Amino acid sequence: MRVNPVGTVEVLTGSHSHGQGHETTFAQLVAGRLGIPIENVAIVHGDTDKVQMGMGTYGSRSGAVGMSAIVKALDKIEAKAKKVASFVLEAAEADIDFKDGKFSVKGTDKSVDFASVALQAYVAHKFTGEQLEPGLKEGAFYDPTNFTFPSGVHIAEVEIDPDTGVTTIAKWTAVDDFGVIINPMIVEGQVHGGIAQGIGQALLEGAVYDANGQLLTASYMDYTMPRADDLPSFRVDHTTTPCPSNPLGIKGCGEAGAIAAPAAVMNAVTDALGHENIAMPATPQAVWLAARASFAKAAE
Amino acid sequence: MYAFDFHRPATLRQANSLVGKLGDAKILAGGQTLLPTMKQRLASPSAVIDLSGVPELAGIEQKGRNLVIGAMTSHAEVATSALVTAALPGLAALAGGIGDPHVRHKGTIGGSIANNDPAADYPAGLLALGATIVTNRRKMPAAEFFTGMFSTALDEGEIITKVIVPIGAKFAYAKFRNPASRYAMVGVAVGKKGSSVVVAVTGAGSDGVFRWTEAEAALGKRFNAKSLDGITNPAAKDLNSDIHASAEYRSHLIGVMARRAVTGATAK
Repeated sequence: MRVNPVGTVEVLTGSHSHGQGHETTFAQLVAGRLGIPIENVAIVHGDTDKVQMGMGTYGSRSGAVGMSAIVKALDKIEAKAKKVASFVLEAAEADIDFKDGKFSVKGTDKSVDFASVALQAYVAHKFTGEQLEPGLKEGAFYDPTNFTFPSGVHIAEVEIDPDTGVTTIAKWTAVDDFGVIINPMIVEGQVHGGIAQGIGQALLEGAVYDANGQLLTASYMDYTMPRADDLPSFRVDHTTTPCPSNPLGIKGCGEAGAIAAPAAVMNAVTDALGHENIAMPATPQAVWLAARASFAKAAE
Repeated sequence: MYAFDFHRPATLRQANSLVGKLGDAKILAGGQTLLPTMKQRLASPSAVIDLSGVPELAGIEQKGRNLVIGAMTSHAEVATSALVTAALPGLAALAGGIGDPHVRHKGTIGGSIANNDPAADYPAGLLALGATIVTNRRKMPAAEFFTGMFSTALDEGEIITKVIVPIGAKFAYAKFRNPASRYAMVGVAVGKKGSSVVVAVTGAGSDGVFRWTEAEAALGKRFNAKSLDGITNPAAKDLNSDIHASAEYRSHLIGVMARRAVTGATAK
């Protein structure tokens, strides 16, 4: 985490963002903690020329693990900045408070803003190099002490056309507990994307090979990716039970939809069919065949 | 792309003479099939003759009890034409369901029927409507024009100029889309004019569009979806089978789509 002399902040993170919105959520965390505008925070990722070590984004861990590392770095930045502020404000370090982007001396009206402290950290006019090493740049690594345990319930209501075997998702209701949520819109988007992926697995997607090992689903003319008109509008909500094993109380959210959706869809499909003799993907043809078995059973 | 000569005639006469002069030239209508096949090197004509500059091939008009649709009329124009919507709403709906908005704005009725893709929508529709295909040389009933998968009665150098569609028929088209490509996996067009009923099936037949004559006979007696109860669906042995649909499933879907088309054609 590099605090520039003008008070802007550059965060180099090993968590890669390819649509998960780290640039927003991570910046929100830093801006909120340091009391600076969000546009003053740059998130740098995915460039091995700049980021020393990264392992990508996986396992719904960028919030719980990546942001915990950022919190640790922020702790160090704040501690160092307080030292600088104590020289600027000519007060004991223990008497310095930091709140809303301002360092102040307890019980007085003396204060200095974050950007001024950042400049003083580098120019070192108020302290000597023997008293304090100049600069405001810190790094942190974080290894989680435990997994996070998000929980939730997804309810799929499906309608099956017995004539054609087409399954339509009539309604989707989901409530998840992701612990503390930094950016509700991004979390909801993650849930939407996960559900779409899960519905794709349940109803549409399948890699098919012929007897010679030739892939038959080699293009989108044959591989059925979920599209907007395959999906309903999702009704998504959450409860908040903070996670005890990381400083922000965050639980993973990225995979929740993709984990819940296949089970919810297939439970609904097998409930409608009256038997479980169907595999994913439950394509129209597969459902039609399974429905014929249901009718035969009902006629017995 | 590789090099080829590009011609854009301004009249049908110029187009005719170019087609006669250039040996392996391809005629370009909307380009929705020709251009992808050229990009994939499945076709490599030395010359392309683009008909988009020929005014005689454009537009839709009503002449007596017929709609006359120029060969270069796009699917989107047919779908939104006030004339077609009023006279044959089922044909407007068929055109409005072809491909996606891009395809509908570039693809043309002439290009579609000249290609006679086994999953195309127009061949079934025009068969069921008893349309006449007009070329620079002759007129042909749709029943004679479509001769098999990707093949038509067109001779070398013959150019489709317009399609004449009689109005006053009860008509609807129902299709079941391939879940991945969204082409017709089974499409059934049903047309009734007077006592004559045509049931035309696309997407399913192993040799392209075909008529389901047993259904036609049953519907000729009484034009109601219930008339198809007890009629055996077309035999699976003549139908396509792929990873999305077995021949048996396609056979079943023909029955379902035919009923839906009949219901659509009789709805007010």
